[in-house]
Amino acid sequence: MRRITCLAILTMAGLAGCVMSYSLVAPGLVTVQDLKLQADGNWNRAPANYVPLSRRDAETWTRDGLLLDRLVIVPGVPDGEPVLYSREPTAALPVFRADMLPNEIEELVESSLVKVFGEGQSVVNTANLRPQRFGEHPGVMFDFEATVTDSPEYRGTAGAFVANDRLYLVYFIGAVPHYYDKHLASATAIIQSALL
Amino acid sequence: MQRTALAVVLALLVVTAGAQDIEHLIPPGYVPEEAKDEQGLWLELEEYERELNKSALLVRDAEIVNYLNGIVCRVAGDYCDDFRVYIVRNPGFNASMTATGMMQIWTGMIVRATSTDELAAVIGHEIAHYTRLHSLERLRSLKAKMATASFFDLGLAVLTGVSAPVGQAAAILSFLSFNREQETEADLLGTKLLADAAYDPHAAYRVWHRLLDEEAAAEVKREKPGLFSQTHPNSEERADYLEEFVRSRYGEPHAGDTADPALLAILNRHYLLLMEDQLDTNRFGRTQELLQRHVQIGVEPALVNFFYGEMYRQRGRDGDIELAIEAYTSAVSSPNTPPEAHKNLGYLYLKKKDVANAQAQFRRYLEARPDASDRAMIEFYLEEDAR
Repeated sequence: MRRITCLAILTMAGLAGCVMSYSLVAPGLVTVQDLKLQADGNWNRAPANYVPLSRRDAETWTRDGLLLDRLVIVPGVPDGEPVLYSREPTAALPVFRADMLPNEIEELVESSLVKVFGEGQSVVNTANLRPQRFGEHPGVMFDFEATVTDSPEYRGTAGAFVANDRLYLVYFIGAVPHYYDKHLASATAIIQSALL
Repeated sequence: MQRTALAVVLALLVVTAGAQDIEHLIPPGYVPEEAKDEQGLWLELEEYERELNKSALLVRDAEIVNYLNGIVCRVAGDYCDDFRVYIVRNPGFNASMTATGMMQIWTGMIVRATSTDELAAVIGHEIAHYTRLHSLERLRSLKAKMATASFFDLGLAVLTGVSAPVGQAAAILSFLSFNREQETEADLLGTKLLADAAYDPHAAYRVWHRLLDEEAAAEVKREKPGLFSQTHPNSEERADYLEEFVRSRYGEPHAGDTADPALLAILNRHYLLLMEDQLDTNRFGRTQELLQRHVQIGVEPALVNFFYGEMYRQRGRDGDIELAIEAYTSAVSSPNTPPEAHKNLGYLYLKKKDVANAQAQFRRYLEARPDASDRAMIEFYLEEDAR
């Protein structure tokens, strides 16, 4: 009996360790580190190892699949760190600096998205930089478009603010046509709900 | 030891080639009629070309396309009609040619050239691969090594060089590249084409000196060589043997680099498009090296200074704000500056808590670009005093 129990525990532990799967994001208040967001229904949290270049403390949600749409939540990037993560020393990831002004945060995200879509394989352009408050913190929103080799076009929108010298960034990417339009309203509402 | 042996082999090849010219293997207008494998390759490549034609990353500006088509035709001579040139937005250094005459030139090649002759040198090299049927040789070598059904898919990635994701293409290319002999043949025949077309043959090795300069300036060195370098002899070897060959065959170079109005016109009119992607690589040492090059060849100072400002500001090291302000200030003193120079100078003044100067620059930005998409952001800062 004792042997069977041990085997069951080992099996469960093994499964827990090996099987990574999507988990439903419950509607309502969601906390990612110290960042709070109001989620509506049907978003699924992707396992971290499904999202290359993702910071360990970031989360990626999707509705129809990561290649079609994704909402990326990057909480509290410290001064001097990139909004992405790579062990590759030649990646040349752009780095957040606490004194960045709106135009530089926009450029930081643009250059970072080039790395996400593939340097040399993509062109990313941002537009419509505008002020946006996130709770008590002033921040920005902007939109972007990505043209990628052998891939659909993507469009997206991003919100960001700096608090306590840390960058809080939430952005949505959707394939064009269809998926960007389909999820934009939900994603924008989540982005604009971000606060500490 | 390995490198020395390689250098000896290359030197022997160059000497042999010097004694006997490498010639084209196919006539102009060549179409394969007998070999089934070659016909299959052409069908695959024609399909690839149809797909490439739809790519949103192609540069379709008539002036740039005509400029590069002109170089290709001049170098190609009687083979001119065999080639279709596609300019691809990619900040890397690369050009490629398929067996069907589909040539791809990355925009990174244009911003790295300091003369039309250098572009012609790379184009000559690619044309030589075509007329020497190197792709077909490569295909047959590959076929001999593989017995899988995916042969053509894999072969296509290899033969186009740029269709697969970077990592995958790099792995394939390193395994199945043109061999060194083919590369040297293409270098030597390409140089002959360059000289026959009355371009400066010394550009053949200067291209590689430029690449070496850039690598030396890079803050993040490439752990593995770039795609182009992986399939070609390294830049240093190539610069050395090409210089020896060109000097012995064509004599000493004429005095220094001279102005190149055709290249300058392209750079001046399309600088924002061509340099924007380089800036987005976040590779500041390389960007700085290119900017220095552009100053030397006489690109419009307002444009180069704007990008110096962008580079320093985004690099963000101690003292970079001051360097960026200096560069933008120089840029905005010219009417040819991009309006964004005013905007980004304004933001830097904000960092310096100099609101009056910041707002003055923001106003000039909105005057120059009244329909700016970030107007709401700029107006937020213009109204800051009132809050």
